[in-house]
Amino acid sequence: MSVVPGATAERTLIPHAGGSSGSLADRMEHSMKSKVLIAIDHSENALKAVDYVGRILSCHPDVDISLLRVINEPSPDLMPDSNDRRRVVDQMKEETLRFMETVGVRLTGCGIPESRIHLKIQTCQKVTSVAELILHELRTGQYGTVVIGRRGVSKREEFLFGSVSNRIVREAKDCAVWVVE
Amino acid sequence: MTEQQIRDKIRQYSHFAPPDKLRIVTDTSEFMSIRAGDLLELDGHFYLIRGEEIEGRFGLDGEPKFWVKKAIDLESGQAKVIKLVFHESFLMRLGELQIRCFRSPHKESRILDKVRDHPHFMQGFTIRDQVGNLVRIIDKIQGTRYYDFINDLNMDHEQYFHEIFPLVFKNIVTCIDAIHELHKNGEVHGDIRNDHVIIERGSSVYKWIDFDYTYEWAENPFGVDLFGLGNVLLFTVGKGFFNVTEVARKGGLWEKVLAELTTDDMSLFFSHRIINLKKLFPYIPQGLNEVLMHFSKGAEVFYEKTSELLDDLGTCGYYPGVTG
Repeated sequence: MSVVPGATAERTLIPHAGGSSGSLADRMEHSMKSKVLIAIDHSENALKAVDYVGRILSCHPDVDISLLRVINEPSPDLMPDSNDRRRVVDQMKEETLRFMETVGVRLTGCGIPESRIHLKIQTCQKVTSVAELILHELRTGQYGTVVIGRRGVSKREEFLFGSVSNRIVREAKDCAVWVVE
Repeated sequence: MTEQQIRDKIRQYSHFAPPDKLRIVTDTSEFMSIRAGDLLELDGHFYLIRGEEIEGRFGLDGEPKFWVKKAIDLESGQAKVIKLVFHESFLMRLGELQIRCFRSPHKESRILDKVRDHPHFMQGFTIRDQVGNLVRIIDKIQGTRYYDFINDLNMDHEQYFHEIFPLVFKNIVTCIDAIHELHKNGEVHGDIRNDHVIIERGSSVYKWIDFDYTYEWAENPFGVDLFGLGNVLLFTVGKGFFNVTEVARKGGLWEKVLAELTTDDMSLFFSHRIINLKKLFPYIPQGLNEVLMHFSKGAEVFYEKTSELLDDLGTCGYYPGVTG
C-alpha cells in the first residue's frame, strides 16, 4: 500500500502491468479517457454505481478505476477529546477498507483486472464538503469520467443538507458525470 | 476580595442582604446544585448567582435552563449570563423535518472570541473553572426580543408596512449581514430564530444571541442558518406568520385570497405557512416577494450562501448595499 501526500491513503490491488504506445499527448488523452473515478460511501446506491460501472466497462481493456471514499473526522465541537476522534476515524478507516475490498471484488467479478482498480481513502481532519474533495480529486487525477450514486433527497433535505451528486453535476468540468440512482 | 468586601458588594449590587453563610463554588461541573445566592469564584472574580435563565420560546413559559445562570459581576455590578458546560444532543424539528442537533460550549466560546466588539452579536468571554470546565461569561443584553417587538405592534399590516417596516427591514438586513460575516469566518449561528435577536434598550441595536448549536453535516454548512434567516425575513415582511387556517378564519375577502393560493405558495418546511405574502398584501414589492419565494415549495433554486440572499435583498429598494 502506498501513501500519497496529504491524508489520502491509496492502494492498488495489484501493481500496474504498464506499457502503452503512441505520443505522450496521445497516451495522456487515452489515459484520461480510460480513468474513471467512483465516489462511494457505505450506501446501497454506491454499490449500484459500482455494479453499473463493472457491467458497462468490463469490455474496456484499458479502463482504470479509482474508488474514492472520504472520511470526515468528527468536529471537535461534537467530540472535544482528540483521542476519541482518532478512535472513531481509525474504526471508520477499517470499516471502509473492508467495504472497499468487497467493492473491488465485485468489480473483478465483472472482469475488470485487479491491477486496474485503485482504492483511495481520503481522511479530513477539518470537516469538509465531500463534493469539494471529489471535485479536487477529479481535477488533480485527470479522470475522464466520474461516477456517483444518488439516494434521492427531498427538496427540504437538499435545502438543509445539500446534495453531493447535484454539486458534482453542476461543477465537474472536462469529464463525463454518471449519476446512478 | 475579603468576605466582608463580598458581603458589601452583594448588598450594593443586589439590594438584598447577603446570606448568613456564603457558599463559594469553584467547580461548576454539578451545575444543577448551583443555586441563587451562591457565589462563583472564577479566575479571582466573584459572581453572585441570581437564578436560572428560562427557555422562554415564543412567549410561552418555559423550563429553567439549569446550565445558564443569571448573575452579577461583583467587581462591576454588571448583569451577566453565565453559561456552564452542558453537552446534549437532540432531534430538532424544523417544520416537518427532524435534524440531530448538538449543544457545543466550545463552539460558542470560539465564536465569542471571533465576534469580540461586533455590535450585532452578544459579547462575552470564556474562562476555565478550577477543574478546567469552560465557563462563558456573557454580558446581559437589556432589551426586547425581536419576536415580542413585532408581535406587540398595535397596528394593521398596511400601516406597519408603510411606516415601520423600512427601518425594521434595514435593521434585519444588517443582522443578516452580521451572519454573513460569521459565515465568512467559517462559523454558523446554528439557531437563528426571531427570539434570538434582542433589540437593545437605548441604542436600539439588534443583536444575535445564543450560538451554541452545531450539526454533524458539512455538505451545505449554511443551510440551517439560511432556513432560520428565511423565517426571520418572512416574519418581518408579514408582521408575523400567516397560516392557511388563520386566513380561512378571517372570512370575507380573505376567502378569495385563500382560493388563489397554490401549493407552490406555501413554505417548503411548514405546509400550512404562507410564503407568497404578495397574494395577501398586494403592496409588497415584487422583488421582495421573490426573495421570500426562494423559501417556498415552488422554489427551483435555493440560497446556499448568505451573500446570495443579501445580493437579492440589496435590489429590493429598501437597503442600498451589502458587504462583499
